[in-house]
Formats: sequence, C-alpha cells, structure tokens
Amino acid sequence: MDFEQQLSRAITRRTLLGQSCRGLGSIALASLLNSGLEAATNVPGLGTHGALAELHFAPKAKRVIYMFMSGAPSHIDLFDNKPKLKELTGQELPASVRGDQRITGMTSGQAKLLMVGPAYDFKRYGNCGAEITEMMPHIGSIADDIAIVRSMHTDPINHDPAVTYLLTGNQQPGRPTIGSWMAYGLGSVNKNLPEYVVLLSGGGGQPLLARYWGNGFLPSKYQGVQFRSTGDPVLYVSNPEGIDPTTRRELLDGVQQLNRLQLEAVGDPEISTRIDAYEMAYRMQTSVPELMDISQEPKAVLDMYGAQPGKASFANNCLLARRLAERDVRFVQLYHRDWDHHGNLPNELKRQCGLCDQPAAALVKDLKQRGLIDETLVIWGGEFGRTAYSQGAISKNSFGRDHHPRCFSIWMAGGGIKPGITLGKTDDFGYNLVEDGVHAHDFQATVLHLLGVDHKRLTFRFQGRDFRLTDISGNVVQKLLV
Amino acid sequence: MIRKLLFALALLYAAGWGSLASEQTVEAGPDALDYNRDIRQILSNNCYACHGPDKAKLEAGLRLDHQETALAELESGGRAIVPGDSSQSQLIVRITSSDEDEVMPPKAAGKSLKPEEIEKLRRWIDQGAKWKGHWSYLKVERPALPAVSNPGWPKTPIDHFILHRLDQEGLRPSPEADRAELIRRLNFDLTGLPPAIAEVDAFVADQSPTAYEKLVDRLLSSPRYGERMAQKWLDLARYADTNGYHIDNHRDMWRYREWVINAFNRNLPFDQFTTEQIAGDLLPGSTLDQKIASGFHRNVMVNFEGGADPAEYLTKYIVDRVTTTATVWLGTTLACTECHDHKYDPFTQREFYQLYAYFNNVPEQGLDGQKENPVPSIRVPSPEQTAQLEDLRRKLTGVEDRVNSELAKVTVEPPAIPPTLSTEPREYVWVDDVIPEGTTESGPDKTDSWHWVESPRPVLNGKRASERTATGLGQSVFTGARLPLVIGDGDKLFAHVYLDPNNLPDQIMVQFNDGTWEHRAYWGASKIDWGMDNTASRLSLGPLPEAGRWVRLEVDAARVGLSPGTVVGGWACTQFGGHVFWDKLGIMTRTPQASSLYDRQETWELAERSRSKSPVPEAVQAAVKIEPAKRGDEQRRAARDYFVRYIYNKTRAVFDPLNREANKIAKAEADLEKTFSATMVMQELPQPRDTFVLVRGDFRSKGDKVAPGVPASLSPLPAGAPANRLGLAQWLVDPNNPLVSRVTVNRYWQQYFGTGLVKTSEDFGSQGEWPSHPELLDWLACEFVASGWNIKGLQKQIVMSATYRQSSHVTPESLKHDPYNRLMARGPRFRLDAEMIRDNALSVSGLLDDRLGGPSVSPYQPAGLWEEVGFGPSFTAQSYVQSHGVDLYRRGIYTYWKRALPYPPLVTFDAPNREVCTDARARTNTPLQALVLLNDPSYVEAARVLGQRILKEGGATTPERLAFAFRLCTARAPQPKELEILTWIFDTQSAKYKQNPAAATKLIGAGESPRPAEMDVSELAAWTALGNVLLNLDETITKG
Repeated sequence: MDFEQQLSRAITRRTLLGQSCRGLGSIALASLLNSGLEAATNVPGLGTHGALAELHFAPKAKRVIYMFMSGAPSHIDLFDNKPKLKELTGQELPASVRGDQRITGMTSGQAKLLMVGPAYDFKRYGNCGAEITEMMPHIGSIADDIAIVRSMHTDPINHDPAVTYLLTGNQQPGRPTIGSWMAYGLGSVNKNLPEYVVLLSGGGGQPLLARYWGNGFLPSKYQGVQFRSTGDPVLYVSNPEGIDPTTRRELLDGVQQLNRLQLEAVGDPEISTRIDAYEMAYRMQTSVPELMDISQEPKAVLDMYGAQPGKASFANNCLLARRLAERDVRFVQLYHRDWDHHGNLPNELKRQCGLCDQPAAALVKDLKQRGLIDETLVIWGGEFGRTAYSQGAISKNSFGRDHHPRCFSIWMAGGGIKPGITLGKTDDFGYNLVEDGVHAHDFQATVLHLLGVDHKRLTFRFQGRDFRLTDISGNVVQKLLV
Repeated sequence: MIRKLLFALALLYAAGWGSLASEQTVEAGPDALDYNRDIRQILSNNCYACHGPDKAKLEAGLRLDHQETALAELESGGRAIVPGDSSQSQLIVRITSSDEDEVMPPKAAGKSLKPEEIEKLRRWIDQGAKWKGHWSYLKVERPALPAVSNPGWPKTPIDHFILHRLDQEGLRPSPEADRAELIRRLNFDLTGLPPAIAEVDAFVADQSPTAYEKLVDRLLSSPRYGERMAQKWLDLARYADTNGYHIDNHRDMWRYREWVINAFNRNLPFDQFTTEQIAGDLLPGSTLDQKIASGFHRNVMVNFEGGADPAEYLTKYIVDRVTTTATVWLGTTLACTECHDHKYDPFTQREFYQLYAYFNNVPEQGLDGQKENPVPSIRVPSPEQTAQLEDLRRKLTGVEDRVNSELAKVTVEPPAIPPTLSTEPREYVWVDDVIPEGTTESGPDKTDSWHWVESPRPVLNGKRASERTATGLGQSVFTGARLPLVIGDGDKLFAHVYLDPNNLPDQIMVQFNDGTWEHRAYWGASKIDWGMDNTASRLSLGPLPEAGRWVRLEVDAARVGLSPGTVVGGWACTQFGGHVFWDKLGIMTRTPQASSLYDRQETWELAERSRSKSPVPEAVQAAVKIEPAKRGDEQRRAARDYFVRYIYNKTRAVFDPLNREANKIAKAEADLEKTFSATMVMQELPQPRDTFVLVRGDFRSKGDKVAPGVPASLSPLPAGAPANRLGLAQWLVDPNNPLVSRVTVNRYWQQYFGTGLVKTSEDFGSQGEWPSHPELLDWLACEFVASGWNIKGLQKQIVMSATYRQSSHVTPESLKHDPYNRLMARGPRFRLDAEMIRDNALSVSGLLDDRLGGPSVSPYQPAGLWEEVGFGPSFTAQSYVQSHGVDLYRRGIYTYWKRALPYPPLVTFDAPNREVCTDARARTNTPLQALVLLNDPSYVEAARVLGQRILKEGGATTPERLAFAFRLCTARAPQPKELEILTWIFDTQSAKYKQNPAAATKLIGAGESPRPAEMDVSELAAWTALGNVLLNLDETITKG
C-alpha cells in the first residue's frame, strides 16, 4: 500500500472510527498517520511530527536549551579577555578603532569615549585552557565541555530590536521565534507537554515581551508556553477550588461523551481533534505539576544547581530545563534578566555571575552525567555585547558599558558542538571582529542544522512570500561542529 | 491534487499537539489552461526571483512576468517561450534538463518544479501561451449570472455562482439548516452573541415567508452588530492599549475603538469609513469624530527605548502605515519594496516611498510616549464631561457678569500729579500667609505642604508662618504662580527663618524655579545632594543662622543663576532634619512686580510699560502701550477694567473674592479637561517633510527624493486629488481602483465562511491564490461599489443566500470531495473567535454587561504575569490592576490589550498580539484552550452564574432544567441520548456535593458577582459543575 492509499484509507477510517468508537479511534488514527508520514520519507528515523516531512540531515541534537541572558552581558568582562584594554584604561578610544558605526543615544553625547579594561581578572580553565573571568569558576569547570564563540555579531543596537533579531531573524515584530519554528517544523515527541517551553527568572532588568517567545505569523499553537514557579505552573492547569481530580475526570467524561455524540451527528473532524486536545489537557494537569515539583530532587542535585524549590530563580529554571529535556520537550528557553550594565558594572556583573554561573554549569554537568548532553544543544548568551569604552565616569570600583553589536561572546555545548574550543577573534579592544565572525543569522542556521534542518528549507508562506528564520542569509558555522 | 490534500491532512493530524484548521487549494479541472488561474503562480513562485519585476536581480535579461520580454529572442539566441511549441521553448528545455548546470530553477535557489507544474507549463505553451494581465489588477467588470442545473435553489445571485461551480464538480448543495441552527449561526455572525431562548422560539414559530429576512434586519440593527464587526477591523487596525515596543506602557486609544463600533452601527459607507480613517483630519471642517477616526494610522507601535535613534523609529512608524494600508485596502504585500523592487508583483521600491511620502508629514516624534500619548494627541470629553464642562462655563459666566456689574460701579480718581516710578529698590513680599495664586503644591502632602500655623507659634509677619519638622529631607514647595516674580539687575531674594534651638536642622535651603530648579542656596551642612557644589545650582551661603529668633536670609539673584528678566514662578523652602519656621518670602527689587498694587492707574501703566515680560493679557498690554488720549473705547476699557479688577488698591475688597471664585472655576475646568480621555490622531505638518528613497531600507542612506504618488500598475489618481492623505483616500475608494472592492468583499466572505473566495485574503498578487469563484468575487465587488459601499447591505446579501443557509453537517463524501468546504456544498462550521467564546459564556450565564463603548477593562488574570516581564512601577501598564463590578463582564473587545502580554485566555484562542496588522487569524485547537475553558476563573464564574440562572429560570424539574441549560448553550433541545448523559453528570455531581458541602462552598465561591443566599449550596455546586461541562462542549464554542 503506498502512502497515498494509506492516507486515503486513514481518512475514511477516521470518519468511520469517529462514528463507531466515539473518537477513541482518533488517537489510533493519529499514530497511524504519523507512521504513514515516517514511512513516506524513505529515510528511516528522520521523519518529523511537524510540518517538515523529513529532516534534511541526520540530526546531532534532538532538543535545545537556550539560556537567554537578557540585557546583554559584557563579553569584555566575561569571555573575551583584553589585557591591552586594561593598560589603556582612561585613554580615549582611537578613532581608527571606533570607525564610523553608530553608537547609542546614551553615549553619543559623551565628550570622550574613555576605554576601560575588564573589571576582573581572567583565568585559564580546563585542559583546553579557555580564558574565562574568575567570576565564573563553575563555567570554568566545564570549559572542556563547551565552545566559546567570541565572534558573534548582530545588527541592532537596542534591546528590543536586538532580542527580536536574534530570536526571529528580523528586527521588527511579526516573525516567529526560533522555538516556534522548531515546534512548527519538527512537532512534538512528547504526548503530555508542549514542544516549546519558556521559563523566566523573575526580577528587574530590561523588560521582556511575549513576542520573544511568540509565534509571529505561524499559528498560535506554536508559541512558547510559559511554565511558572509561582501560581499555576501552566496558566489554568489547576482545577478550580471545589473540583478535585476525580470530579474533573467525571466532568471531562461528560464533555467527551457529548462531543462524541456531536461528532457522530455532524461529522466534523475538528471535533475529534478537540476530544484529543481535552485528553492531553487532562494529562497535563498531572504531568505539569509533577514536572515542576523539584522538591523531590535529591539534595545533592538541588545543591549542585543552587536551586531552592518554590521560588522563581535561574537556578530552579536550569534544573527544570533538565527535567524538561528528560521528558523530550523540544525547545526550552530560559530568560534571565538584568545584564544591562550601563553603570556600576563591576558590582552588577559580579551579582549576575553569582546568580548564573553555578546553575548554568550544573545544567551541563547534569545533562552529561545523565547521558543527555550529546542529544541536547545548550546555548548561553545575550542579544549583543558591550562597549570597550565606559558609559559615564570611570572610578576604581565603578564604570559602565554601553550596547555593542559589533562583537560579543556566547557559549554553546552538547548536541554536535565541538567541545573545548574558543572560536573567533576580536581586536585588542574587543571592539571589532578580526576573524571567524558569526552573524545572528549564521548562529540561527547553525542551530537549525544541528537539529537536522536546512535553514533555507524550513519555510512558511505568508503574504505571498516563503519566510524563513534566517531571512535571506545565514551560513552554518562548520568550525563549531564536531 | 489528492496527494496534496491528503498530505495537508496528514500534517494536521500528525501535529499531535492539537490541530490547525487550515486548508489547501481546490483546483478546477477544465482542459483549457488559464494564465492567471493556472500558470502565473508557478512562474511567480519558481522563476520571478531572477526573472521577475525586480530589475536589480534580473538574470539573462529574461522577464517572465511580461509577455513581450518572455517571447523575445534571448541573449543566447533561442526563445524562452515559443507559443504553440513547447519543444522549441527554452523554458521547457531548461526546466526539464537533467544537466545540473542547465536545469532551472538552479539548485541553489532551493526551489523545484513539481512534475504536474512542468506539465501545465508545457500544455499552456502548446495551447498558445496566452497571456493575461494579473487578474486582480484588471478593472472589476460585472459578470452575468451563470446558468444552473436547479433554478429553484438560488435565493440570491450569489447562489447562481456557487451552484454553477457545484454543477461543474458534480456536487449538490446541502439542505437548509434547521431554524435553531440558523438563528444561532446568524446571531454569532452578525452580533457575536448567541440568541436568547425566546428569540429561538419566536423564529422557529414564525411561519411568514419573511421570517428569516426580518431576523437578519433585526440583528443588523442591533448595537451588538457594531461590536462584532469592529472586532475584525481592530485586528487590521492593530488596535491596542499599549505602545508595544520595549517597556510597552499605556496609551489612550479607546476612543478610536469606540469610533469603529459606532461607524459600523450607523452603517457608515465603506468609502467614507476609509476616508475618515486615512485622512479624517484633512476633510474640510473635519469634526471631532473624524479626527478620532484618523487615529487608524496612529495605532502603530511607538518606542522610547533609551539610546534608540528617533530617526530610525520615525521611519518604522511610516513604513508600518504603508504596509498596513497595502494589506488592508489593496490585499498587497509591499513590505519587500521597503528595501528593493518587488520580486513577484509590479511594484517598485520607488513607489513604496511615494506612498511613504503621504504619511511622512505627521508632527510626531521618533521616540515618544514615555509619559503620555505620543503626539499628536487630542483630548475628547465624554457626554457627561461635556455636561460638566458646560456647567462650569455657565458658572463662570455668572461670576463674570457680577464682575462686570461691579466694574460699572467704580470710579477711578483722576491723577493730581504726574506719576513716577521709584528708582530705589523696594521690598516686594510675594509669600505671606498664603502661597501665590494659581500655584500647585507638590510633594507627598500635596494639599497643605506649607503647614501654615498661627501664633503662639513663632510668626513674623501677618497671621501665619510655615512650620515643618523633618527627619532627613523635608520641604514646602509650590510652582506655577499666575503672577511670577520678575528678576531685575542687582535684585536680592529674601526669606525669613526661625530655627527651633531644641531641634536644629543640619541644613536649610531655598530653591527657585524658573522652569528648572537649578537655582539653590543653602546654609549649614551639605546633606542635600541636589545640584553641583559651588555653582548656582548648589550655593553655600555659610553656617546655619542663629536659632531661636527670626533671621532674614538674602540671596543675590545673580549668584543663583537668575539673570535680569528671568521669571520665577516657584519656590521651595527645604531642610534636612530639625524643626524650622519660614515666613515672609519675597524680593528686593527696582523692577515693578506684576502683582503690586497701585492707587493710580497711570502709575501701574508706567510700571507695566517698563516690563519686558508681563503676565497681563496681551490685549491689555497693547492698550497700555498706547497714550491714553489716543486709545479707542475698547482699549480704554480694557486697560481701565484690568486695573480696577486686579490692581487698584481701593477695590480689592470687592474684586478679590470674585477673582478667586473665577480662578477656582477656571482651575476646575482645567482639571476637568485633564480627565478627558486622550486619543492619538493624525495631523499634517504645515511644511511637508522631504521624502527620499531609503537605499536598502536603511534610514541613514537617502537616495532619490520622491513626491507622493500611487503605484503605476494600478488605477491612476482621480483627477484633482490633492497630494496628501486625502488624495490617497480618494484614490483608494475610486471605483476604478481594481483591488479595494475585491479585497473588501473577500474579507467579509471570509468572515462568514472561514476562508475567502481568495484564500490568501492578504495577498491578491502573483503569489496569491486564484479565487475559487472569480466571477462571484467580481460580482460582489461590483454590487458593493454600486450600492454606495453599503457595508450592512453586503452582509445582508451574503447571509440571505441559500449558500449561507445550508446545513453544515459533514458527510464522508463531502469531506472527501471538499474537506475545507471551498466549494460550499455545505454551510460553514468552525470554532468561534476568541472574543466570541468569552462573550458567549458571559451571555448564556446572564453576566454580560451590555454598555456600548468606553475604556478598556481588565478581567480576572493570574497574578504576576505583567510584573514578571515589566520594567517596574515608574511606568504605566507594568502591573495588572484587575477591574471589579460590571467591568468584569464586558465583551472581549473591551479587554485591555497589552501588546507585550495580551490577555492569555484570548491569545490562547488565537487572538493576535496586535503588534502588526493581522488579516486572518489562525484557528487552532489545542489543550491549552481546554485548560482555559475548564479552569479560568472567568469561565468557572460563568458556570456558577449559569447554575443560578438554571435554578431561577430553568423550570421545576431536573430534565426541564437540563434542557433549558443545554438550549442556552446550543440553541437546540438535547437529544434523548444527550439528556441521558447530562442527567448522569448532574446526578453524580449532585450526590457528591451533597456529601461534601465544603467542596460545594468552594466551587460556588468562584468570581466576584453576587450569589443569592437562598440557593442551596450543594445544588448550586452541582449545577455549576454541569455549567462547566456545557461551556466546554465543542458545539458551545462552534458556529455550526
């Protein structure tokens, strides 16, 4: 039986099943259709549950955990050591270095752009000898497992457009985020949880917008679903007071029975889908609270992350990310805020390192010890870098840095990423790229590649154009790959 | 074909996590190929990128979008297309080539032609390669009604077109839906709300032939119709209550929403509806209403992120206006022409900026909206506020009448000797016992920040002194004096201070405000850190003065940066700790002060003439400057009346109280005006901004200068159209415009049937889909224009059709033949829009608040959602403040729309975030939707109140009540099997809640609406549970 016949029969069966078995058949049908899809690809194991009939390459990673550092951490103070800048502290940035590119309205009016060196010393970590700030000893301890990219660059110079650009490929709102593209293209392999989950650390810093995990022009079911540490772990997942789980099941049975009668009478397959959706909602009522309850984790694990059950924190979210990865959630995005250090950078940076260093490193270690790291792509980074010159006055313990899109650092680990390397070079000022530039679109192309997707071939027709995540550019960064 | 369909279905079902109700092409199968229907999209999709309208990317000189160039000899010698002979056509040779270097499209393009597409191209060339202009750019011509197999079926002309196509496909229409289904469908489509049971009964019972039409007319005249229609339009208008970028704070725009609702309700013709929104402000003698309408294009997102470039964002606002106008009215995607010529459609980058020029003349700012609405914004009173305003104005007129009658009684003594002005500095006391008129007190204790006290506390002058005890910083402040101090050369400001010896302050300070507060002098320690030391902004005048007695403090005006001619309207007495009294503040000056009193008009006039800046009204100033003998009557009276009313020292007892009364009313009026809701509008700069082509869309690289204009491939501007937005609006609604009427009728069709006649309702270009019923589309477009753009008329035309009235039941055959119902052999059936799902629950429970219009409201929302993403309390709309009372039960259209985090229950049901123009919402079917309907407090409360309603109105027995409840939610009576299930649910829950009254009490505690105390707790809980089931039924949330 060829694919077409199989599907044709499935559709007929769907209607029949809907009538005879009251919708129960639709679950079986879904799996039949899935297997039909996979059978049709001719590439065993590369079929997807999303819009892509098949993956374009053998995937290196099954899922992504993206720790987004909102506000833009300073590459100069964290991952891109500039000893010369230290010597030149207090001197004016040479015009030849600055070039003619734009700087923000926050420092463009400053009389002088005075250089300032890294706030803290760097150390060499691991066998690879990666240079990392001494403020991040835990990241140092996984230096041999990660790839530091010092040559990221992007176009926008302000937060809103820069976050939007890095995540959607375009500065203006309206396009899907990378997680939405994956949910759309690859679908879910988990029957009890959404494919795209978002976790916020809470607290101040640059504002976030739901657009940062939005579906853009894709249907809304592809948007990131926020999982929360306070209140309902997923909005409206808890039964109202006075309805216990048994009652809920009984009422749901009532809904389902009536819907099945309706399906018999009307024959609309959407009813069948709705019946399935209600079943999954019911499963989520159990699976989500169970997932979010980290209090059952062994103390050693909680300690490794620095997690404290019951409150929103980056540490908790890192631990939750591992739990989501274990449950095969496709794309997990963590948002941690307050890296926007225009002033008082040494203190603020130290504080943020204190919040982020240990949990992020623990996540990589934990994935590794559970054998998940090879199939999970882990990303840590912000929307741009920060300037070599100070915003405001420089004193012994205080200075600031403005936005800098021309180069910045991130790190990646796991699924297909070459461990223990440092890619790319910037000049002595951490101001201009010198080699191996990785543009935002290259980064996106690489992430998709690791998941087995050709970024040029995951498209969606909207307003007459086949849109893609990387817009009209993007090259896979081969040097990052195993 | 079938493979394509099946594959799409497979995707739907394979998604697992819900399904997406979308659909695929239905293709007709006559033998003769039509360029527009069958060929253009293949070429456009696969070839135009290099062989299309974008001249910059043109390869081999070959353009396939133009007949002449496509048939011309190629550089290589051959011809791409030889009509009638596909074997000689290079196009066919290349697309079928097996040579990797030869084959088209090239591998790098990532495109490939399907075998059936190649076959079509071959056949089309063999059939003669007949070209046509793109169908949607051709003038709309009214088609004749086609013949049909069953002339008895059509009820309206629409049905001829539908049935004609069904005949071709060998399909038959479905029977008419039953009455209950019909009224429910119509209610949702025309009002967004379900019918009441009595309305269903009346319609079912009405045997007259006009029963259906009467129902349509009634619903079209319901005020709910405007709300229903506006909901769709607001997606296009990208209406929201916040600015959208970055911090995403609040804006006031709901007046615009109200305008849209009213416009639909009064059936404003679509041409005027268009004109007022594009250019309402430019209409001759434009009304307030028309100005509000012009807010359509102020709905763009606005930014004020620190450090962002205003020029960049100004550009973005205007670009959004161009692309939105193109989507809404032209069904055309122009976004790509911001940076380059269009790849598929005949629009150039230059033309994009010609349209841009129309919108480039608004007096707006690139970064704005931090505190109040981005400019330009106007304030609009509500009817109640207009009444209040009129009342205040009447009162003011009363006072003025009394002033005038008193003025008539006064005689001013003529001067005995010529007036002179003193040349010695004299002491002018500005503050004594009261702060000057017109001032606003600020600080935490706004109403009495000066803490005036009387003897036996220390008082130096008059009756009162100002007293303050502070730990840390404390101060008394005012700003905005109506008659400010005028600083002269060598002037000294003075204040008198009394320090409590038992509680000395660390520091005392006086601050003067001339628009800024950067004028400060202080005594004692330096604890207050405003300003910079040793400058005018922070001047030390030595140690604290002696305590326990009144000491006069003097400050050289020049040393605190107050130069001659400066006007000081505010003063602050500040201290750090301690217990301090202040009294008698003023200035030693030679300069006449505005509020000095005089006994002679001539002396005052002399002083007035010597002043460079004066608070006196301009007409009075002008009069005073003229020699008394040369003044006209008007001028003489102006000068004299002002003097008597405000200056003359002998008439103070009469006029001061009257003046105070008048000022009080004026202030009340100003305060009232501040409470008028603001709304953003369009305005035109007197001098238009220059517009340039922006090279690659970069706001920093200006290319050629361009003037306003419209795309050459569409109809020309009507004769006499002005070169501004009004001209653009006239062009849009010109009957010769080929797109606007087609795009608009298609969008309304989509509203009823789920899919437009052109499926790609936002794209009528080359990449768009060929219409399923092209003649019907043109017929509707013609009718629409001919009817005078009658929007209600168009709705009626659609719903009166037999096509619309068909049963929506799906049979295996109809599903197989036409799964997405593009041929309309059955009635429409799909899930309600997000807002309608909410409105339905509120309506069937009886909670719905039916006030029309008004500001946005904030229903129940889980705590912390905004705060988690917000920027903190210094900005608006960063934390959620829930509404109470009836505001909790307003229709979804009135829900506060925060772009950064729109109301989750609506978003879950596919409501867009309104950042950009949205034409058609997706319609998904997900588990999160189930969670909303099952557990969101709004729906649990609706279930509880529905339970109350069942107990009150549903009859005496359980079966009656169950049937009543079921009918409320579905408009039909339950079938026996359904009643059986409902009974089982109710009985089970009833028994359980009787045993567990604690759970029952909790359940019926849902929501803030009142609960009748007499109702039995367990019984109500059981009905609430049943209500919860009913509100979750597929049928309840579906229009069928």
